[in-house]
Amino acid sequence: MLIFSVFKTLTDQQVTVELKNDLSITGVLKSVDQFLNIRLDNIKVLDEARHPHMMAVKNCFIRGSVVRYVQLPSEHVDTQLLEDATRRESLAAVKR
Amino acid sequence: MSFFGFQENDLEEERQRIRNGGAHENEDVAVYTWGEESYDGLGDALQEGGDDLNDETFGGGGSVGKDFDFAGQTSLLEPELAQQKSLSSEVQPRRDNAPVRPAEQHLPGDRRAPQSLESIWDDRSPFSVLPRENGGSRFAERERREPSTSQFSPFPESPVLHQPNASQGGARTLQEIEAEMRTAALQSRGASQRQQNALRLQQEEEFFQEQAYQRQRLAFQRERDQERELQLQALQRLQQQQVMQLREQPQHQRTPPPRMLPVSQSPRFLDQRQMLLLQQQEEQHQLRLQQELQEQLHMEELERQLRAQQISQLNQGPTHFNHRRQPSGPTIAELQALQQQHLHRRQRSQSPAYQDFNVPPQNSVQLQQRLLAELAQVEYLRDFQGATQAEQEALRAEAMRKIVEAEKMEDKRRKKAAKIAHMSRYNDLMTQSDKDFITRIQVSQLVTPDPYADDFYAQVYGAILRSRMGLQTQDERVLKFGTGGGISLGNTQKAATRRPNAMQRMEQQVERIVSNARRREEEKGLHSLHSLQGALGKTSGRSYKAAPRQLLQVDDNTSTSPTLAHAHPHISKGEATGPSNEGAAKEAAKLSRETLGNTGNVVRKDPLTRRQVLTTLEALYDLVLKVEHLRREQPPPEEEDAFQRWQREYDDLVEQLWEGLKVMVPLETSNPHPFVSLLSPSKGKKLLPRLTRHIGSSRMLTLMTLLVACFTQLDVVKQAPLLDALEETAERAEVERQTQAFLGSVLQSILPIVANLELHVVTALLGLLIERSQDIAEVAKTKPGLALLTLFLSRVEVIKQAWNNGAEPVDVMTAGAALEQWQAVFDQFFVLLTPHLLSLFPSSRITLQAHHPTSAALAIDIIDQPVWQFLAALALQAVPEQHQVLVTSLRDKVLENVLSANKGWVADEDERRTKLANVNLFLHALGLDSSQIAL
Repeated sequence: MLIFSVFKTLTDQQVTVELKNDLSITGVLKSVDQFLNIRLDNIKVLDEARHPHMMAVKNCFIRGSVVRYVQLPSEHVDTQLLEDATRRESLAAVKR
Repeated sequence: MSFFGFQENDLEEERQRIRNGGAHENEDVAVYTWGEESYDGLGDALQEGGDDLNDETFGGGGSVGKDFDFAGQTSLLEPELAQQKSLSSEVQPRRDNAPVRPAEQHLPGDRRAPQSLESIWDDRSPFSVLPRENGGSRFAERERREPSTSQFSPFPESPVLHQPNASQGGARTLQEIEAEMRTAALQSRGASQRQQNALRLQQEEEFFQEQAYQRQRLAFQRERDQERELQLQALQRLQQQQVMQLREQPQHQRTPPPRMLPVSQSPRFLDQRQMLLLQQQEEQHQLRLQQELQEQLHMEELERQLRAQQISQLNQGPTHFNHRRQPSGPTIAELQALQQQHLHRRQRSQSPAYQDFNVPPQNSVQLQQRLLAELAQVEYLRDFQGATQAEQEALRAEAMRKIVEAEKMEDKRRKKAAKIAHMSRYNDLMTQSDKDFITRIQVSQLVTPDPYADDFYAQVYGAILRSRMGLQTQDERVLKFGTGGGISLGNTQKAATRRPNAMQRMEQQVERIVSNARRREEEKGLHSLHSLQGALGKTSGRSYKAAPRQLLQVDDNTSTSPTLAHAHPHISKGEATGPSNEGAAKEAAKLSRETLGNTGNVVRKDPLTRRQVLTTLEALYDLVLKVEHLRREQPPPEEEDAFQRWQREYDDLVEQLWEGLKVMVPLETSNPHPFVSLLSPSKGKKLLPRLTRHIGSSRMLTLMTLLVACFTQLDVVKQAPLLDALEETAERAEVERQTQAFLGSVLQSILPIVANLELHVVTALLGLLIERSQDIAEVAKTKPGLALLTLFLSRVEVIKQAWNNGAEPVDVMTAGAALEQWQAVFDQFFVLLTPHLLSLFPSSRITLQAHHPTSAALAIDIIDQPVWQFLAALALQAVPEQHQVLVTSLRDKVLENVLSANKGWVADEDERRTKLANVNLFLHALGLDSSQIAL
């Protein structure tokens, strides 16, 4: 739930999603669900010359399971808070 | 019974008679009028030519076989005919009395002979009755009228039918017919008796033949009636099918979505469909009416256009016609095409799918009406005022443009409707319960008993963001229920005010979900032993959980075996929170030895290992989180019971924190001191500002004293020389980062404490710093040290100013003593520092090194700035003699900066200003300015 929680705060921010098929899509994060399915708007593929078929695509829905990495805008992530959240989660996990 | 004055006719009886073969009496025999006075002689007018090739065509040369006798019934009829002859012998006289010229001779009882036109129509013969009783139309007549349509009887199809004596029987052969025709041709108007006799004989023969034919025909008719009945049934079935098709059309036209069919079989759905069907039919009906109206209007409009065109043609004359026609509106052909298109559209618009999503056509009707009205007005105006040609043109063009526009609009609308229709085929794919199910899953994912635990990041981040933006915190986005469950709504808009009912319902639902989940958890706990059987290495089966968890989770805290605990490769919580378990035996031995030896009042220990530091820090962080969480849930002071309980818990946690910081561990315990060790990682440094909120100021003072006492043990002080290197190395970057963290976190957190220090405390702290550090100059050469010294000096300056302007009334005696003390310590400090004044500047230290890139010039000025600030603070505290020392020592540095600034030995304006500002910072403290320096 932590990552979901983080992504929730990143809506309407520019992110880059790297897929497992080596496609990198940059776009505005519109929504995320608990499976970390991602909806992007106004997208742009990193290597457009290699993926010309993506040039016409303006928005997309990415299944969470095909995502390798998501590059977050560092100015919109509170690292210390993230650390705290991690601590809380591990604490909760120990409690359980 | 006479009905409406009709002659009574016992139909049943008649039918009986007919079935018994007695129909010949009243037979409706066709009337032939050859050889009679009334014969109009049309037969003579027949063209008889062109028969030369008849034989060749019809094979008349050889003997004629019987293979053309399709019915094969003529021979079969022969015995029957003979029988009938004998049977009808008693009827014969009457027949004789009633000659074959019914048009002239009417016997009173002979009903079948028509007297007038009405009586012909008023046909009550059994044959006229027969078909009717089967629900059919008048059969014989229809047959006569449209012979080609009846495919059941071989008779009407025979070519005889086209002859005047057609109904006499199709059973005759071609030969007979030809003979008949030949005889007919031979007969003159005034035929002899012989001929007439022959004719009569022939006719008699024909009569019998016809009787046979009639019987046959009756049988056939019965057969045919059956067939008709079948046909009718088939027709009905067809109609039903059509209706069904009509019903199913909406589904057929759109591709049925995968789950459509099973759902449609449910009775509820059928009901809906029937309703829908009814609606559709009604709509269709209305639509058709509207379309007809529209069509009519359209036609009128087209007509009008045509007329207008014709008029204009007339007006303009034929010479202009061709060239004129091109630019202005459509040609006649175009109009026709338009018309066709319109028709086509109309046809197309019959499809329910289109009709369903057709935007109410009133709009277009209205539009067209408006256009027509405009057109009419234009025409009217033209007629009246005799407008010029050009104006007419313009008006017409305008009208055409409008029409085209309307067409375009309609086209667009149609496309849109089609799109909607295409998309809407998935409508109602999911039932409400399906949707509810999914919503439940989603909501149950969002619902947690503790939203701050599971959605901590988003909640706190949102709170921080809101506080940063100055929003009120009353906009709570965490819903809390009486049971303590909560749902995080994330970033959804505040909807509580708008839809309170919906929110309430949702709350209830969520509450139920939460309580259910809790009960399930409890049940799981009860049956955990059963559920754990065979669970080794398995993950939990709930696929919609975000992260798979192992079913079997062994809590290492409960482990009682110490060997097992130590064998655990990971950092365990127990190790961190309690006294260090690691090497417990060794520790105990050491402790006993030291206490036994009693070498001093301090137990010397090894400094904390990095791992110990990290685990301790994590434990501290957990404590801090707990404290912060507790603070959020602070009960109002009115509830004394709860508040006291809370206060106790809070104090307990703060106490644990204080213990964990190890500030009270004796100074000489280890080098570095455990507290300094805790500050070495950046997260340790960052922890401090979060603690200050909870730790009292007296404790903070203790903490700061410890920090000052152990200042040289700090990593940032020890490794500061690395910063003077200009090469970018990983170590340098790390030191830089740590230094920034220290300045930003640790110094920031002690800043408020320093700002409230008394003069004597500052004096004591400075003395402590000088005493504890072997070389105060070395401390001053580090950024943290310089910052700390600047803090002290500026605090003293603030105190002095407060005393001088009487803002802070003080006892003159104590103040004087404190000042004296301070001056003593300061003098000591100044003396120690003087030889190193120039090397305080990072730029100077860097210049001393052989290699330095010039590109770092501006950066050097910036990193020099704190030094200039420090020197300014120093100058403020210094006495005039010390000023002399300062100026002498720093003269070169000042001159160098001013010179380079004034002579333009700088890269840009920024650098010049920075240099001058730096110098002025120091000079102003001495009461000087850079402009006074004459070069």
